[in-house]
Amino acid sequence: MSLVILDAMEAGNGISNKLKEELLQAGKEFSYFELRDMNILPCRSCGACGFKSPGKCVLKDDSHEILRAIARGNTLVMLTNIRFGGYNYTLKKAVDKFMNLCLPSYTVEHEHLLHPNRYGSKFIVGIGVHGGDSKDQENCFKRLVENNAFNLQSEYRTLILKPSEDMENVKQEINSMIREVC
Amino acid sequence: MGNKRLLLLNGSSRKKGTSYSFSRTIKLLAEASGNKAEIIHIIDYFDGKENFDSLRELISQNDIIAMIAPLYSDTLPCFDIWLLEKLADECGNDLKGKSFFAVGQCGFPDITRIEPLLDSCRLFAGETGMNWLGGLAYGGGAMLNGALLEELGKKGENITLGFKLALQEILQDKKIPSKSQELITIKIPKLLYRPLAAYLNNNARKQAREAGNVDYARKIYLE
Repeated sequence: MSLVILDAMEAGNGISNKLKEELLQAGKEFSYFELRDMNILPCRSCGACGFKSPGKCVLKDDSHEILRAIARGNTLVMLTNIRFGGYNYTLKKAVDKFMNLCLPSYTVEHEHLLHPNRYGSKFIVGIGVHGGDSKDQENCFKRLVENNAFNLQSEYRTLILKPSEDMENVKQEINSMIREVC
Repeated sequence: MGNKRLLLLNGSSRKKGTSYSFSRTIKLLAEASGNKAEIIHIIDYFDGKENFDSLRELISQNDIIAMIAPLYSDTLPCFDIWLLEKLADECGNDLKGKSFFAVGQCGFPDITRIEPLLDSCRLFAGETGMNWLGGLAYGGGAMLNGALLEELGKKGENITLGFKLALQEILQDKKIPSKSQELITIKIPKLLYRPLAAYLNNNARKQAREAGNVDYARKIYLE
């Protein structure tokens, strides 16, 4: 069982530190990507990853090491500030490359047209950090994680944390998530 | 005759794709009723080919702003989120009181998949004090592949009529009517999804053959 963490938070925030700490303490195998420091170029919709270079973006950037880890792992954890009810730019630059995790062909699942998985299903966890009290923002975030999981035909879980949250609560929430997915 | 100014943000990395085709039609419809409209490509600002300050200037000159974008991994492409973050963080006062609407399009026929994209635009409008006029969702955008709507026969006419009805309200700062969404929605019975998938998979195999018999199911990151 290996986890891939995509951390799109700003440097030095308490939640990222706690997540790393708890993963280390739990002795889980994981790959941790701090996206803010990574060079990930935006998808140009060139279509090359379909047939010219199947499953691999032709742009040379750091997304390949992330996709390699996801392909080999079982669980994907995405940690982001919630922006406009979704992922922040830092996370989304990586998520836009997820098309490479799917085939360019089609399947029908649960009465929906989908692309089949290239690497099998994963467990997806979306952790959204949101300072406000807007349930609308939180619900939209949960819906987005659900849609990503549906497209990747994967199970999912969402977790909403407050930046001001007591670190003991954050620790408990993270531990509960680790127990559930590992 | 109207006297509104519209700024249409093409949220696709492709400058002549379906999002552009939609933007172009909306521009022509707005101009036909005496308004002014301009299309800009967000990717140019992201790439630094255009100066962000010039966008602030454009925003100040326009009454209505629209995001017309494809669905990437279930919501807006990253460079569009980059722009919305930058606008919300740096230009909140410039946006306050202006009107905002969105058109999202995706390759799949099911338009409910586009809801997170439209929700993000709605929440951006709320956060920046803009007047949210609503959103339209088009499923099947990949099949259009950037074709001009006037070249698409009945399908193109319906989409154009949907945009026209929407604009009639938008130009009066009123919400997009549900009739617009009805007009642009392609109704494919779910019963046909399997034959459609078989047809598309046949095309995929053909494309793989044309590309030199590539194995499109290759697990390149496990090699």
